[in-house]
Amino acid sequence: MDLQFIEIIPKTGPLFWGALYTIFVGLLACGLGIAVGTALLLMRNSRFWLVRKFVGIYGSFIRGTPALVQILVFYYALAPLSGINVGPLTAGVMAVGFNSGAYVAEILRGGLTRIPKGQWEAAEALGLARHKIWFKIILPQVFNSVIPLLVNEFTMVIKITPLLSTITVVELTRASQMLYNETFRPVEVLLLAALIYFVICFSVSQYGEYLQRRSMKYRL
Amino acid sequence: MTFDFMAVWNNRDILIEGILNTLLISVIAIPVGICIGVFVCLLRISKARLLRWPAIAYIEVMRNIPLLILIFMVFYALPFYGVRLSGLTTGFICLSIYGGAYFAEVFRGGVEAVSQGQFDAAKALGLKYGFYMRRVIFPQLYSYVFPPATNIALTMIKESSLLSMITVAELTYAAHEINGRTFTPVETFTTIALIYWGISIVFLKLTAILQSRIEVEHIRIPIAIR
Repeated sequence: MDLQFIEIIPKTGPLFWGALYTIFVGLLACGLGIAVGTALLLMRNSRFWLVRKFVGIYGSFIRGTPALVQILVFYYALAPLSGINVGPLTAGVMAVGFNSGAYVAEILRGGLTRIPKGQWEAAEALGLARHKIWFKIILPQVFNSVIPLLVNEFTMVIKITPLLSTITVVELTRASQMLYNETFRPVEVLLLAALIYFVICFSVSQYGEYLQRRSMKYRL
Repeated sequence: MTFDFMAVWNNRDILIEGILNTLLISVIAIPVGICIGVFVCLLRISKARLLRWPAIAYIEVMRNIPLLILIFMVFYALPFYGVRLSGLTTGFICLSIYGGAYFAEVFRGGVEAVSQGQFDAAKALGLKYGFYMRRVIFPQLYSYVFPPATNIALTMIKESSLLSMITVAELTYAAHEINGRTFTPVETFTTIALIYWGISIVFLKLTAILQSRIEVEHIRIPIAIR
C-alpha cells in the first residue's frame, strides 16, 4: 500500500486541534502536578509521623501502579465515592496531575538536598516564621535549581496523555483514532500523530537539556 | 454506597489469567529489551557515524513518542503491509523495542561513567573489543546501571497495561471484562490497582536482593580477572 499523504493532509484539521488540546491538558496536569509535588514535599518534612508515612505510601502506590489503571480508578471511583460528578477532562487532568505529583515530589526532594543548611540557620536566626522560611527562602531556590528537570517532567506528562483517550477525552490520540476510522488510512494518520508527538516532546526535552547545560555552566 | 467485592472474587479466574498474562509479557519483554538495549548501546557509543546515527535516531524516536501510538502503529498499520500480528505478539515486540531504547540510554550513561583510563588500559594490554567490553567495562557498570534499569523494567511491567487497548487478555483487560459482566467499576479497578501494586513491591524486593548479590560479586570481579 502506498502512502497517500496528499489525500490525508486536507482532512487533518482535527489532528491539530487534538495536538493543541494535548498541550493544554499537559499544561493543566503539569501545573497540578507541581502543586501536588510541592504539597508532598512539605508533608514529607512535616513533624507528624503519620503525615510523613502517608507521603511514602502515596509515592509507592503511584510508582507501583500503571498510569492507565490510576486514570480508570479516578474516572470510575471519584464520582461514587465523593458524590462530585466530574467530566472526563477533569477526572483525567486530576489523575495525570496526581500521578505526576509523586514524581515532581522526588525531583523537588533532590533539589532540596542541594540547599545548604546555612540557609535554614540564617532564616531561623532572623526569626522568620516556618511557613515564611519555606515559601520565601527555601522553595524559590529549590525550584530554581530543578527547572530543567521539571521541563522534562512535562514531556513525561505529554506521554501519559494518550491514555486519556480511554476515558473519551478527545486529545491527539483519540482525534487520530476518529480520523482513521473515518478515512480508513491508519498508516498515514498514525504516522502524522507520532510525528506531532515527536515534535512536541523532542523540542521540549531539547529545551530541558539546554537549560540543564546552562545551569551547569553557571553553577561551577 | 455499598461495595460488592464478591463480584470481583467470583470472577477470580479471569483475574488470575490476567495476572499470568501480564507476568508472561513482562518476563519475555524485559530480557529482550535488555538485549536490544545492550546492542543499541554498543552502536550508540561506537566511533563510526554510520553505526552511531541510526542508534541515536532509534533512541530519540522511541523516547519521544508515546508507547500507545507505537502499539497502534504496529497493530493497525502493519496489516496494510501484509504483516498481521496477534495482540500478544504486538505487545512483546512493542514493549521490548520501546524498553530497549530506555535501557540503551541507561547503559550508555553507565559506560560514560567508567573512566577513559579503563578503556586505554584494556587497549594497551592488547585485549580484543569483545573481550574487554565483556570482562572489563561491563562488570564495572552493574552497580551504576542496576537502579535505573530496575526502574525501567518496572515501567515496562506497568506499561503492559496499555496492551488492554488492543484486546490482549492481561490484567487491565481482565478488569474491563469483569466490569462489563458485573458493572462494579470501583471495586474491580481498585482491586487490579492493588494487584499491580503488589507485583511492583515484590519485584522491587526481588531486585533489591539481586542487587546486593551483584554488589558482592562486583567486589570479587577484579580478583577473578587477575
